[in-house]
Amino acid sequence: MPSAGKRKRKKSSGKKSALDSALDQVTDESLAASKKEFQDLLAQAKVDTSELIRQNAQELEERLVLLKKRKIDKEDFDFFVENQKRDLRVFVDSQPAQSQERAEKLTLHVLEIAARVAIALI
Amino acid sequence: MNSNTAKNFAFRNLFLCVAAIAITSCGTATFTKTGSDAQIESLRNFELAFIDEFAVPGKRFNAAAFDAKVNQGNAKFQQAIADEKFTARRPVLVDLKGQFDADATHLRSKASRGKVTPGLATEMKKDVNKIYDHALGR
Repeated sequence: MPSAGKRKRKKSSGKKSALDSALDQVTDESLAASKKEFQDLLAQAKVDTSELIRQNAQELEERLVLLKKRKIDKEDFDFFVENQKRDLRVFVDSQPAQSQERAEKLTLHVLEIAARVAIALI
Repeated sequence: MNSNTAKNFAFRNLFLCVAAIAITSCGTATFTKTGSDAQIESLRNFELAFIDEFAVPGKRFNAAAFDAKVNQGNAKFQQAIADEKFTARRPVLVDLKGQFDADATHLRSKASRGKVTPGLATEMKKDVNKIYDHALGR
């Protein structure tokens, strides 16, 4: 059951991840709320007790960094997001009712926000 | 006494027969499951090779070769689905076929426009390996 939950991101622990550094450069005000929500949810997902949620967050982060570095483009990124969603829908549906909302928020919802935030990284 | 001995003998033989049938059927199931796993591994290798062949940045797109490979893949998946003895595994093979279709569509779109990016093949292969590992219960 995903429950590791409400651990906050460390803001002053020294090194920032490549993704955090990239996101810091996003100054678009219209994306500020999405960016904040995305960073909070991704941080929660990365320390979740469920391996699949952690793995999904890790992959998403890596692909955003690849996008920023132009190793993949937005079309590729969207394609991989769809792959991840397809894979995760089964996982979310298989969770007990009380865990489904959280599992969905930390997987499918994060992927949806990522697709919005990704535009600003290009 | 003799009748008891005969009964015991008959029971023993019956027990041995049942045990032999059980062991043989387990063996058959394991063998068939192994065959099914091998089929899935063969599909995985086909798909990985397909990505390696066409997700190459800067490579000229050969539509005929691409279509031939996709047709070969479709035939392989359809054969695997038809041959699958475990009915519970058929939806898994259908999901794998769905991934192959999605990969082929994306790859065609990118390669035909000369838009294959340097990271595409590696990331596609990661997703392929993940879905096949899940299909094999790993």
